[in-house]
Amino acid sequence: MKQAERTRPAALGGFWGDTGKTGIGAWLLSTDHKRIGLLYFWSVLGFFLGGVVLGLVLRLELMAPGRTIMGPQAYNALFTVHGVVMIFLFIIPGIPGAFGNLIMPIQIGARDVAFPRLNLLSWWLYAAGAAIILLSLVTGGGPPDTGWTFYLPFSGRTATNVSLAVFGVFIVGFSSILTGINFVTTIHRLRAEGMSWGRLPLFVWSLYATAWVQILATPILGITLVLIIAERVLGVGLFDPGRGGDPLMYQHLFWIYSHPAVYIMVLPAMGVVSEIIPVFARKPIFGYKMIAFSSLAIAAAGSLVWGHHMFTSGMSDTAVLVFSFLTFIVAIPSAIKVFNWVSTLYRGSISLDPPMLFALSFILLFSIGGLAGLILGAAATDVHVHDTYFVVGHFHYVMFGGAGFAFFAAMHYWLPKFYGRMYARRPAVIAWALMFVGFNILYFTMKVLGMRGMPRRYYDYLPEFAGLNLASTIGSWILALGLAVMLVNLFRGLWKGEPVTGANPWGGATLEWTVPTPPPTENFAEEPVVTHGPYDFRGKGTP
Amino acid sequence: MARPISTGRWRRFLAAIGIAAPLLAPCPGAAGDDPSSAGHRHHEAAPADGGAGAGLDERLGARIPLDIAFRDEGGRPVRLAELVTGPTIILPVYYRCTNVCNFLQNGMAAVIPEIKRKPAEEYRVLSISFDETETPELAFRYKKIYLTAINAPFPEDGWRFLTGDASSIRRLTDTAGYRFQRKGQDFIHPVASFVIARDGTIVRYLHGTDFLPKDVTLALLEAKEGTVGKTVRTVVGYCFTFDPKQKTYVFNLLRVSATVVILAAGSFLAFLVLTGRKGQRARGGS
Repeated sequence: MKQAERTRPAALGGFWGDTGKTGIGAWLLSTDHKRIGLLYFWSVLGFFLGGVVLGLVLRLELMAPGRTIMGPQAYNALFTVHGVVMIFLFIIPGIPGAFGNLIMPIQIGARDVAFPRLNLLSWWLYAAGAAIILLSLVTGGGPPDTGWTFYLPFSGRTATNVSLAVFGVFIVGFSSILTGINFVTTIHRLRAEGMSWGRLPLFVWSLYATAWVQILATPILGITLVLIIAERVLGVGLFDPGRGGDPLMYQHLFWIYSHPAVYIMVLPAMGVVSEIIPVFARKPIFGYKMIAFSSLAIAAAGSLVWGHHMFTSGMSDTAVLVFSFLTFIVAIPSAIKVFNWVSTLYRGSISLDPPMLFALSFILLFSIGGLAGLILGAAATDVHVHDTYFVVGHFHYVMFGGAGFAFFAAMHYWLPKFYGRMYARRPAVIAWALMFVGFNILYFTMKVLGMRGMPRRYYDYLPEFAGLNLASTIGSWILALGLAVMLVNLFRGLWKGEPVTGANPWGGATLEWTVPTPPPTENFAEEPVVTHGPYDFRGKGTP
Repeated sequence: MARPISTGRWRRFLAAIGIAAPLLAPCPGAAGDDPSSAGHRHHEAAPADGGAGAGLDERLGARIPLDIAFRDEGGRPVRLAELVTGPTIILPVYYRCTNVCNFLQNGMAAVIPEIKRKPAEEYRVLSISFDETETPELAFRYKKIYLTAINAPFPEDGWRFLTGDASSIRRLTDTAGYRFQRKGQDFIHPVASFVIARDGTIVRYLHGTDFLPKDVTLALLEAKEGTVGKTVRTVVGYCFTFDPKQKTYVFNLLRVSATVVILAAGSFLAFLVLTGRKGQRARGGS
């Protein structure tokens, strides 16, 4: 313990110690955006690791046909909990909650967010919602077995503890809305002098677009979840055809939120990548305005495509046609981003440091996932691969390969700034390589399996799918190994690594690299005046 | 226009928004997860109207007595043990049915060419009439119809059409949890079939009139290995009409809340745009 005390980042000063407050209360009751950001970081990381364990167990069950380690009911419960934890407790709050809080106020030259206490309340609501979700696993009829989508009428009838889990998600939703309101206000009102909209870092632009989706879409989720509870507890019969309700209505309501929610998950990730690529290519970002605009375009168009989850549900052909068309529209701003990142790399002076490796793999994996999304977005092909393993593969490519890898990139890029210590480079690169290989073995096989007709959400499959399933499971072990190496190396580095000398280890041009390492509680000694754009690297050296 | 809504319903609905306590209450019917136990039910709370009349109580793992005697299409007495020589699909129907029994058997005829197993050797289909007044002659007629409908070479022994007396029928359907009701000339009955293993154990129920080749193949495979699979496609057998007028209050609730959200967000944006940066105002004031 004594040893740990001495090597703690607090020894390095900055916001870790300059308020003089210590102990758990200095964290749980702090209104400092950096402390709240780290609270978020550690909580989402904890849930991520829990979700990873569940995912590994699911893959273990599917390693061989038939019952391997669990029966159907346990499998149904596990994939539901895996989905709920990963989506509602990791990816949605992940980058905005952790890195948005840590970085965004500094990037715009502010001392804190606009409503620091509301910010703390957001984290507490997140923690409370998460606790309720965890409680639902052990009380009542046991963990929900409906899938993370809670589709009715089944979720209205299953004896498992759906109501409580849904209530937990409802609370987490409020946390998301409050974060959105806070960020929008902060970005509008607390920008430093000279920080015009045209000089906002692209990470801030992506958070801005995300925040609007959080504000507009999350209330729909809230209403929908209340309606599920009404259906279950009072039997009102809104969605259950057996009681005269319409199950399609539920699917509409659910996806009106949940499709925009995938942009809540991936937009901030795109923002992270837009920050890292120019720094490690030593070039101003190509097409700044188009990248900023495409974030808003994705947020807007992405709110109008929910029906593509329902092509086989029996809605009208006109609706199918319109939603399919709109889905193709969303591909345009996403492609704008990808092309602009690649153009930024062109003739850049690229250094393949760990953050860059993760960011580059984001581009590749997100593109693979995104193009597969078009196969699903085209109604004709969707009919064939709907509800197959192809969808699972696609979703993990965009969410884990996209948002997940961007989260890791952000960890390697920004955490040394806040902990004041650097991780070892070589193990980080090895970890990245393991994860990249493991990831593709794990999820690409899923796409192939889906194309060949393996349905998703079953604990069992026909014998002809055995080989690829085994390969996929082995991939999951490689990925997990890489993850373990990455986390051990990173956190060893943050606790015991070489101290970061100077404010700007990577040679970045955004404001967070002008403040001391670690940043002081007030961020800036005096209010900064911004005189150049976020990707103007003249005189910044090389990373 | 909006139909008046009973105040009782409204009150129940509004009360839903305030509930918290019932969430923690344990739900009834939380069964264990071992599907091999006899009498395993699907992990679902019983619907409010369950119990009486026609319906289906899944009895996965229950064993159909193989000594039940029926008559085959030729009028010969036959015991189930002679026919259940491997995985067997049982279609409970009545041949005079003018509705779904035809669809069910047509669905089976349509999927048979896609099942990659040898009929009569590796599996067999049994249509069993639950109308004790039906005769082997009638069964023979329908056998010809459906074997023709398969539209592929198929051994006569691969799909048998049975009739029987009331007590035999009851022994079969009661064991399978299949409840039907006579109504005049016709019956009210669930649309379901089930797959049994060689020893009579029910390994899987198949719902609805359309069969997916993979569902049937998987069920036959399980039957061969004697493992009991959980039914996954249970939420299909509905024929329902949705009356939007009756749910006007839901739509109104959605309309009102959507308007509130958009207005609130819009005025929030307007406020932020109009007030500008905080620094600008402070500097403007000083």
